Amino acid sequence: MEPGKQRKGYLGGLALIAILTGLYWGLVQAPPDAYQGEVQRIMYLHIPSILTAYLSFFLVFVGSCLYLWKREKRDDNLAYAAAEIGVLFTALTIAEGSIWGKPTWGVWWTWDARLTLTAVLLLIFVGYLMLRSLLEEENRAATSGAVLGIIGFLDIPLIHMSVYWWRTLHQPPSILRPDKAPWENIHPAMLIALTINFVAFMLLYFYLLSLRFRLGELHDEIKTRRMSGGR
Amino acid sequence: MGPWGFVFLAYGIVWTVILLYLLNLKRRIRRAEVELVRLRSAEDLERDAKA
Repeated sequence: MEPGKQRKGYLGGLALIAILTGLYWGLVQAPPDAYQGEVQRIMYLHIPSILTAYLSFFLVFVGSCLYLWKREKRDDNLAYAAAEIGVLFTALTIAEGSIWGKPTWGVWWTWDARLTLTAVLLLIFVGYLMLRSLLEEENRAATSGAVLGIIGFLDIPLIHMSVYWWRTLHQPPSILRPDKAPWENIHPAMLIALTINFVAFMLLYFYLLSLRFRLGELHDEIKTRRMSGGR
Repeated sequence: MGPWGFVFLAYGIVWTVILLYLLNLKRRIRRAEVELVRLRSAEDLERDAKA
């Protein structure tokens, strides 16, 4: 087996083990929340999902800046791959939040600043993917994508600060607070469940990203061979 | 729906969607690899014919 494929296999295996451990801690070991009850267990997916989406769009930002600077296809491939996976995790974050919101807030959706800005983030990057698939000229698609990717990333600081700048239904951070250490804000078993799920999502993310990046490389080689062979 | 119903709905949607995306990604990679093999062998045939 090729070393690259073997490494991806190990990463996928590690991700699977971490996901199963995270499920056990999230659904069995962690106690129910004193106020929200069992529904709070959705947070073991919701928080890692949005952090994974943020990381993904940060990579879109980095890849896009590097592409505009150096014009290397590899950087554009990274940005394109990260955008697709970022869209997946943002959509999942909104779905999880909606399912948690119904029993907790009484509504599936509300036009709260943080929720709305997250929906805007999703729409921007769905637009990014559409733009990439619609523009046929490769350099133009990559350049337009890079500009949109950089603009789209600027929504993330707004999402983060929205709970401080506006009166929102979405609560401010309850674990990472400046006044207390994380373990003072949450039951240790809940913190362990959250940490394991975060690690699981990170491993899964890099596994998916490596596969999606490989797909981009394969498409590039196909295009190059077709052009050189006139097929 | 009870609280566990919401929990299983969320977990079910998340892991099903991720699994479907992973399977779709692997299918796209397989398809691209097959296409690449086809292009490489066509190039080899062309080179042999010229030689």
